[in-house]
Amino acid sequence: MPVGPIELLIDPWSSGIDRRALLEVLLLGCVCGPLSFWVKSYRLAYPSESLAHGLLPGLVLGALAGAPLLLGAGAGVAVAAVAVALAGRDERIGSDTATAVVVSGAFGLGVLLALRPEAPTRLQELLFGDPLGVTDTDLAAAGGLVLVGGAALLLLHRPLVAVAFDRASAGAAGLAPGKVRVALLLVLAAAVAVAVQGLGSLLVLAVLAAPAAAVGDRASTPGRAMAAGAAVAAGAGVVGIYSSFHLGGAAGASVALALCAAAAVGGLRDGVRRRGRPGPTAA
Amino acid sequence: MTALLAGLPEPAYLLELRSTRMAALELGLLAVAGGVSGAFVVLRRLAFFSHAVGTATFPGLVVAGAAGFSARLAALAVAVAYALGTDRAARSGRDPGGAATGLMLVAALGAGTILASDVFESGAGVDRLLFGTAVALNGSDLAVAGGAAALTLVAAALLGRTWTAVSFDPSGAAALGVPDRRAEVALLLLVAVTAVAALPAVGSLLVTSLFVVPAAVARLFAGSVASLVALSVTIAVAQALLGLYASLWLDVPPGPAIAVLGAATYAVASLVLALPFAARRTPAEVAL
Amino acid sequence: MSAAVTVEDAAVGYGGPPVLAGVTFSAGRGTSVCVLGPNGGGKTTLFRAMMGQLPLSGGRLWVDGRPAYVAQSGHARLDFPVSGLDVALMGTLGGRWWLPARKADRERASDALRRVGLADRAGIRFGELSGGQRQRVLIARALVQDSAVLLFDEPLAGIDPTSAETIGAVFAELRAEGRTLLVSSHDVEGALAFDAVLCLNGSQVAYGHPNEVLDRQALQDTYGSELIVLPGGGDGEPRHAVAVQHHDH
Repeated sequence: MPVGPIELLIDPWSSGIDRRALLEVLLLGCVCGPLSFWVKSYRLAYPSESLAHGLLPGLVLGALAGAPLLLGAGAGVAVAAVAVALAGRDERIGSDTATAVVVSGAFGLGVLLALRPEAPTRLQELLFGDPLGVTDTDLAAAGGLVLVGGAALLLLHRPLVAVAFDRASAGAAGLAPGKVRVALLLVLAAAVAVAVQGLGSLLVLAVLAAPAAAVGDRASTPGRAMAAGAAVAAGAGVVGIYSSFHLGGAAGASVALALCAAAAVGGLRDGVRRRGRPGPTAA
Repeated sequence: MTALLAGLPEPAYLLELRSTRMAALELGLLAVAGGVSGAFVVLRRLAFFSHAVGTATFPGLVVAGAAGFSARLAALAVAVAYALGTDRAARSGRDPGGAATGLMLVAALGAGTILASDVFESGAGVDRLLFGTAVALNGSDLAVAGGAAALTLVAAALLGRTWTAVSFDPSGAAALGVPDRRAEVALLLLVAVTAVAALPAVGSLLVTSLFVVPAAVARLFAGSVASLVALSVTIAVAQALLGLYASLWLDVPPGPAIAVLGAATYAVASLVLALPFAARRTPAEVAL
Repeated sequence: MSAAVTVEDAAVGYGGPPVLAGVTFSAGRGTSVCVLGPNGGGKTTLFRAMMGQLPLSGGRLWVDGRPAYVAQSGHARLDFPVSGLDVALMGTLGGRWWLPARKADRERASDALRRVGLADRAGIRFGELSGGQRQRVLIARALVQDSAVLLFDEPLAGIDPTSAETIGAVFAELRAEGRTLLVSSHDVEGALAFDAVLCLNGSQVAYGHPNEVLDRQALQDTYGSELIVLPGGGDGEPRHAVAVQHHDH
């Protein structure tokens, strides 16, 4: 039976499951899109990914215990962050390698716990996300993140801009760059813990890195970049849910792929722009 | 606790099974490859690359499995392409912060999972592709593992000194008369090829369990590059075999078991070294 | 005395317009050349061109054999599991990198370490040596290469006096052996001890014997605003010194 364009747009909203999924991605997009600008400015993609992979044991244990996913994710993120920080202190190994060790161990532990035959857990959803399984608690958590995370970003806005622009002078001007970065990492950890429900441990990086990549360097102020990021994130999220609804693909992965596609478009446009300009000559 | 221990299978019994012997031999060979190249991966700070090159092959494996052509060749094509792309990107200094690479891996995983669960509906096999298997390894996997070990040993014998010189002092190395650029590419390609060899056993997400973690543990103790390599191989083989045992006992794939064992070893080793009595006994006098 | 380095109107760039142009000089065997110039003026660029790492965008450049290069020790990794001897051994890789180190190679490396006064510290990890000792190890690595031409990138910057003295003695020995040294530096005073001085600031300002070439005008053209004038030189002439801004590289 042919489906008209109006139906295409309206149908997902009539299904309770998809309506909640749409709400979830909209909420996540509103806070993770702007946050993505700072992830890019502070080069936090690799730490974000490490947090996302490292929290898996927490997620699994929470799921096994029947607790809300947010609790497991929160605990997982906290432990992972501490472990990475501790391991990174050995100069010989270097923080990259130490992070890789911690992350593969933690991730492996999560998988091990989840795959034991006596303990059936939906590992696939924990890894790749389950927006269609969003509960009211999850929505409340996402809403909370928007409020608290948004407030934090507003409060921290000027320090974040100052430290990103020139860390040394910001320090001289009385800010504490180390503390600003830690505050940002806290917001990031919270965002990872909340977003992991919808996108999964393996794909959550998309919502934190793709929006800024899609926006590129075109925005004139950080505020505009963050607003654009929010729009991209929310838009891609909606596109992902819609395509999952109509085409039948896994919802979390669809959202992630939509975000990556937006990033690719942004990257291509930046690449074309860069080739058009002659590069600076090195000293 | 005693109930847990009582459930431990007898190693002798396990080895009677042909599949176990095959897995043990294969993991042993892969550990040799991973231990040797891992030493240089750690020296050259390529840990993330070894994780990424394995992950990137995931969609290729899904497509090959469904379309019926060689998964190994598909993975090899992806891995080599990724290695060459990484070399190119590193030269032009793109992607500081790793966002582009991270997103590329997300896209690979997302595409792979949609293809597996919704397009090809091979969802049940995804765990094997991601985390490896201890029981379904075949003779050709073993042959490939042997080839990987041999290739790694030859490459390290020929290029080991060059890799060391370049990692130690990138700007000064070119003047030494060594093929520094080609050696870099060679290392990336070696890791890519041996990671592909390891995919059936440890899966695409946990390549680091053999290629980074044992070498990282060894790095905590080794005072010279030669001892780093030797220690790295020893630890890798031990962890691979113990991890295999644990995976058969717990009935989980080998990848996660080896990874957990490795990380635990690393944690214990760092803790021991951080204790006051053991503190700072880094070898000031290196054996000549 | 034949030339070990010949440069004719060379221009070098990094893909765009040349950052260094109009370089013309010739250095004979057994001579030492001090290369002066501000940061970014082209000293390292010239060295890299001489090593063949950068193609010329114009002119000609010829060097006898493969030059040895000593960069500042800060670029090498201090956490690496290598001893001083291991580093010196790296000098034997050239042209035979696929072979393991032979006994003869080890002896050459030990000899080189002895020449720089580090024979008793050969087994100590590189990162645990002092700054001056590390610089000397890198020089030993260059000595092992047995090159006719040696390039030194600010070798005495921030080095303790003992090491500086040893390094100076090594330079004299190398010249006596008939090798050619090019040493980039910010020390205008020290340049007076060299056979020739090459002043670079995006282009060649001057080349020749320091007494003939290092007048106020040449220094002004080379260093511009970085130049300061100190009173009270030997014969009433004002002494010149360079105030160098060390930018983060």
